Amino acid sequence: MLNILLVDDDSEFSDVVCHIVEFLGHNIDTAANLAEAQQWFENNTFDHVFLDFMLPDGSGLHLVEHLNSIGQSPKITLISGHPSVKGKLAEMCAPNVGHLVKPLQREDIERVLNPKKNTEKKKKQPSIQKHFGTLIGESPVMQQLYTMIERVANTNANVMLMGESGAGKEVVAQAIHNASQCEGPLVATNCGALSKELIGSELFGHEKGAFTGAIARKEGVFEQAANGTLFLDEVTEMPIDMQPNLLRVLESKKVVRVGGNKELPVDCRVISATNRSLEDLAQNNVIREDIYFRLAVFPIDIPALRDRKEDIELLAKAFLEQLNDENGTDFTWQTAQLKELSGYDWPGNVRELRHAIHRAFIMSDPKGKTITLPSNLESPFSRVNKKSQANQVSAGQTIEEVEKDLIHATLDKVQGNKTLAAQMLGISTKTLYNRLNAYGGIGEYS
Amino acid sequence: MKDKEILRTLVHDARAPLNRISMNAELIKMILENDMPKDKALSALDKIINNCQQCSEDLQKISDLDSSEST
Repeated sequence: MLNILLVDDDSEFSDVVCHIVEFLGHNIDTAANLAEAQQWFENNTFDHVFLDFMLPDGSGLHLVEHLNSIGQSPKITLISGHPSVKGKLAEMCAPNVGHLVKPLQREDIERVLNPKKNTEKKKKQPSIQKHFGTLIGESPVMQQLYTMIERVANTNANVMLMGESGAGKEVVAQAIHNASQCEGPLVATNCGALSKELIGSELFGHEKGAFTGAIARKEGVFEQAANGTLFLDEVTEMPIDMQPNLLRVLESKKVVRVGGNKELPVDCRVISATNRSLEDLAQNNVIREDIYFRLAVFPIDIPALRDRKEDIELLAKAFLEQLNDENGTDFTWQTAQLKELSGYDWPGNVRELRHAIHRAFIMSDPKGKTITLPSNLESPFSRVNKKSQANQVSAGQTIEEVEKDLIHATLDKVQGNKTLAAQMLGISTKTLYNRLNAYGGIGEYS
Repeated sequence: MKDKEILRTLVHDARAPLNRISMNAELIKMILENDMPKDKALSALDKIINNCQQCSEDLQKISDLDSSEST
C-alpha cells in the first residue's frame, strides 16, 4: 500500500482519481496548487506524487526542485496535456520522475504505481467476472443467488447460509459483507471448533480474572464485528446449552462479557452457516426454533457445484489463472480437460475442485504449457461415500430396486465387463443379460 | 505566432474534459466489474455527459479561432 499525493487544480479529476487509487488499495491525498503541495511535504512523506505540469501558481517542475532541496525523493509522475512535452520531459527528468499524457487511463495509473506487476497484469487481464469481489459463476442458480445477495445487502437482516461442505458459504458471507459496504470488519468464527468451556469467551468476550487463565480483558466476536458482519460458521454445532445465551444477544442486541456486568451494544449483521439440511435442523433438535428464526431472517441456499455444472469451466479457469499469477507460470486448459472436469459430480464441491486443480498444477511439467489432470478425479472421501451409499439397503425398498442397485454397482466395479459381473453376482452371463433386458437397461448398461 | 500559442492553450484546455471523461469511464468499469453499488456509476455517467458538452464548447472555441484567422 502506497501513500500518494495528487497535485492537480482540476478538482473533478482529482476526485475520480482518488476513488480509483483507493480501490487499487493505496492511500491518497490531494493538493490544488504548489503551495498546498509544499505544505503537505512539511509534515508528511509520500511514496508517489502525481503532479500536474501546469498549476495555478507555477509549474510542476517547481515542486520537483523543491523536493530535491528538502531531500525528499518520492517517485514522481508528471501529467501533461501536451504530447510534445513528453519528449522534453524525458530528457530533463531524473530517474525517479516519469510522465503521462492526458487523457489518462486506469492502466496508466496502475503501471506507474506498480511497474513490475502491471506488465504481467496487462498480458493476463482477468476475463472472469468476480461478483461482489469474490463469487464466480454465471449459471441461472448463481444469478438467483446474486439477486438475493443484492436484496439482503441493502438491509441489516441476519442471514443463514445453507449448503453442502465446500459449496462456498464463507465466500458468500464475504460477498454479502462487501455488498453491504458497512464500515466495520467481517469477523469469522467456527462454532464447531470451540470447546464448551471457551465458546462463551470467544463469542461474548471476558473480563480479566473471569476464570483461571483470563489474564486480560478480551473482546468477543460480537464486539469485534461492531458496525460490520459476524460470520458464525457451523452454528448448529454449537453446544446446545450455549444457545440461550446466543438467543439473548440476538434478541436484546446487547452482550455482557463473561465475568462482567456491563451491557455492551451489539451492532453487526450476523451471518450463520450450516451444512445440515432444513429437515435435519427441524427433526434432530440441533438448534432451537426461536434461535433459528432469529438467525434465519433471510435464509439462503447455496447451490452444490453439481447443480451448476456450467460454472465448472469458469471456476477451473479462474483457479488456474490464480495459480499462474502466484507462481509465474502460464499453464492453459485444453477443451477436453474442461469437459472432463465438468463431467464429474464434485461431491466436495468448489473446495474439492480447487484442491484437484492445485494437485494437478503441482504434478504438471513446469516447462510445459498444459496442465496434467490425474486419471481419476475422485477424492478418497467420495469413493468411500459412494461405496457406503451403494451398500445401503433399507426397509421400504422393493426387491427390484435393490437388485438394480446391486447389478449397477457390480458392473461399475468391473468397468462394465458382464462376464466378470455375472461371476461376482453368482449368476450366469445369460441370466445377467436377461435381467438387464427385463429392466430395459440399468443406467448406462444395457 | 500569438494565435498559435492561443491555439495550443485551447487544445490543452480541451484535454481536461477528455481526461475527466476517461477517468470517470474507468471508474464505471471498476464498479461494474466488481459489483459495487451503482450510485457512483450513475454520478460518473452524469459527469461524462457534462464533460462531453464542455469538450464540445472547447472545440468550438478552436473552430472560432480558426474561422477568425481565415477572415
